[in-house]
Amino acid sequence: MIRTKKLIFLAAALFALGFSSLVQAAGLVTSTEFGAENEIIVSFSHSVDLGEAADPDRYTVFEEADPDIRLAITNIDVSSDGKRAVIAFADPLNTTQTHIVNTSGIGGVAKSSFSVSKSYLGYLFSILISALLINNFVFTKYLGLCVFFGTAKRKETAKGMGVVFTVVIVVACSMSWVLYNYVMKPFDLNYLQIVIFIGLTSLTVQAVDTVLRKVNPVMFKSFGVYLVLVIANCIIIAVPLLMASNEYNYFETFMLSLGAGGGFLLALYLMSSVSERLELAKIPPSFKGLPIAFIVAGQFAMAFLGFSGLQLF
Amino acid sequence: MANENSSFQLLANGILKENPIFKLALSMCPAVGISTTVMNGLLLGTAVLFVQVFSSVTISALKNYIHPRIRIPTYTLTIATWVTVIDLSLAAFFPLAYAKMGIFVKIIVAFAIITMRLEMFACKEPVSDSFWDGLGMGLGFLVGMVVIGFVRELLGSGAILGYDVLGFKPLLFFILPSAGFFVVGLMMAFFNWIEVAYAQRKKG
Amino acid sequence: MKNILTIIFRLTVSCLIAGLIMGMTFVFTNKAKKANEHAREEKVVYSLLGYSKANPIPDSMGLHEIFRYVVSDGETQSIGYLLPSEGHGEAESFNFVRIDLDGKYLDSSSVTITGEKVKEQKDRDAAVQIALGAGKGIRFVDQTIVVTEGDGRFAYLLGGKFPGYKTHIAIMLALDPSYSILGLEVMEHEEDPGLGAEIEQDYFKNQFKLKPFEKIKSIEVVKTPLPSEYFDALEGRVDESAAVDIMKQYSDQDIYALTGATISSAAVSSGVRAMTKKFAYRLDTLDRVLNEQQIAVPF
Repeated sequence: MIRTKKLIFLAAALFALGFSSLVQAAGLVTSTEFGAENEIIVSFSHSVDLGEAADPDRYTVFEEADPDIRLAITNIDVSSDGKRAVIAFADPLNTTQTHIVNTSGIGGVAKSSFSVSKSYLGYLFSILISALLINNFVFTKYLGLCVFFGTAKRKETAKGMGVVFTVVIVVACSMSWVLYNYVMKPFDLNYLQIVIFIGLTSLTVQAVDTVLRKVNPVMFKSFGVYLVLVIANCIIIAVPLLMASNEYNYFETFMLSLGAGGGFLLALYLMSSVSERLELAKIPPSFKGLPIAFIVAGQFAMAFLGFSGLQLF
Repeated sequence: MANENSSFQLLANGILKENPIFKLALSMCPAVGISTTVMNGLLLGTAVLFVQVFSSVTISALKNYIHPRIRIPTYTLTIATWVTVIDLSLAAFFPLAYAKMGIFVKIIVAFAIITMRLEMFACKEPVSDSFWDGLGMGLGFLVGMVVIGFVRELLGSGAILGYDVLGFKPLLFFILPSAGFFVVGLMMAFFNWIEVAYAQRKKG
Repeated sequence: MKNILTIIFRLTVSCLIAGLIMGMTFVFTNKAKKANEHAREEKVVYSLLGYSKANPIPDSMGLHEIFRYVVSDGETQSIGYLLPSEGHGEAESFNFVRIDLDGKYLDSSSVTITGEKVKEQKDRDAAVQIALGAGKGIRFVDQTIVVTEGDGRFAYLLGGKFPGYKTHIAIMLALDPSYSILGLEVMEHEEDPGLGAEIEQDYFKNQFKLKPFEKIKSIEVVKTPLPSEYFDALEGRVDESAAVDIMKQYSDQDIYALTGATISSAAVSSGVRAMTKKFAYRLDTLDRVLNEQQIAVPF
């Protein structure tokens, strides 16, 4: 019962976010998107006059941050039913910026303005993938290593540690975001970042500890021991700091922390799978234990280097 | 216990016998991530030294006033305070070097070695002993970072502290961040091997 | 009960003391940090113009700063420039000139602020807001330094930030009055050491020098190796006049990309291209408006 409600809510939220490039401009335009590297594709809600829609003088296009620099339009292709226009520009568009298109006298609407940007959901997703793979906190940013090597010996410990860590980091990061935006920024207390963030993490660990003990003692027995280790994990302070320096909003913070926790879980899981195999391998005596673990981690790091520069959205 | 040791012994303990990076295998994040040059190693090592010494001394001086149930939060608060102090100071007085270290100075607050040392040593021992122990641990970390940085900088860019020594770049690979893992792993194996060989020689 | 009270009391006291220590450090180091930042910017400015400690900037050169704002008045937006007004030496006064999005002059207001305070964003924003009145929203965008030599303009210095291969790259660009490039300095980046970080090296940065505006408007990167004589000239291994000759020969050539860092090289060149084009358009518009309206400025 509750599960279905949650699912519906989640689906609705995703739906709304996914269609954020939907426009509210006097109902003239239904959707906009970037086409090839120098194109914007506009879909009209009703058929528009072909001559009007193909007239470059009726369009003014600029990047949101630079409203005074008008982009030069080379030509406009309108589909025969008058519902779709492809605007081609002289120079490739900088698709990381939101573009604003102002029309005048098209489709019977005197003035209309709409924005074109890459899907926001795509952007959020790219933050997630970035924290998970491209900038994996263990293999690309080299954080959280102490705990990493300590718990990457068995698959069970790896899974336990990863899950606990993800939960703590999402909760702690959300609280950090609230405090950062409503307490630190207005009062100019940025130098207290370190203290407050680590304080919130300790609080979260304590809270999760108490809650888990009371609510689910069985789970506590299997996962509780990892809670203490969370504080010693460098990632737990790195994620709020990253959030603060990038000034993310709430959804972006959530995605970042989810990706960080997920990336840690992934790294642990990969490492533990190899560790279990390593125990059966022949290793020179001086390499046994940590040295060989480091070397394996180094190879993983090199493999993860392959993800850099990946751009999904 | 350790409180009969002289200051020199405490110092040597931190650098050799219980070296945080090579022996205790704690606080390895910067050893892998930031040890691309000797300069980085020196700066971060100094920062850690500062935090370790000041935290040890503070906790040791206040050990009678700390309620046992809020031990850990107090340690965390102390460490966080000193990390903030050194972070602000480095940012103000050494901006270029600080920019290279990025986030790693702030991360000192999460180092296990400092909390562990406070828990195991500083809350029981007098102030002067804590001072030497903190200094020893900090120096051990500094030495470790500088050694790793030395190897990586020399083999990666042919330079030491920015001065071109070799005149060519042997293997660019060593300053790529992922090489940190390899260098640290190899060095740990090397130290292990030395220990084993030394013990064997002593025996036979 | 007493236990909990003691705990709370001691915790609060420790928090307060900690806060006090950090607060004092912050106040103490903040001043040094700001001073260092300004010193660094000054150093970059001088080196871009070709001067340094050993060869200091002559007195005939003046540095004037233009601050650009976006002013929003309800739905409409306009661009505002905070300019020093003529005779600004003793009576430090500034003008805030507003130009609409089509390049037409809107209005200008006088802004009172000292030459020192204008460098701090907070003080500057507050002064501009007072001059414009409460109804309008302002947002600071960027600043340009116009360098004058005697009575004429010598160079423009502008900062810009754009996405690189990793995160972003921040540069400072020096243009001459005809918008060809005098120099380029990389201020911040997070590229890979040994690969993308090579954009800081002379043999990459100096390729942009002496490229004329017409070439910059369409500059690209090519993936061929740098000719060795060009390399020597860029790295300063030949004497200055020979170096300038060689660089002039290559002034119509695209940028040679860095080995193993094509994307970083392309990011920098497209960033420079965009920055120069936008700046040229904006400065031409501003000059035209200042001329039409007969607004006196010291450059």
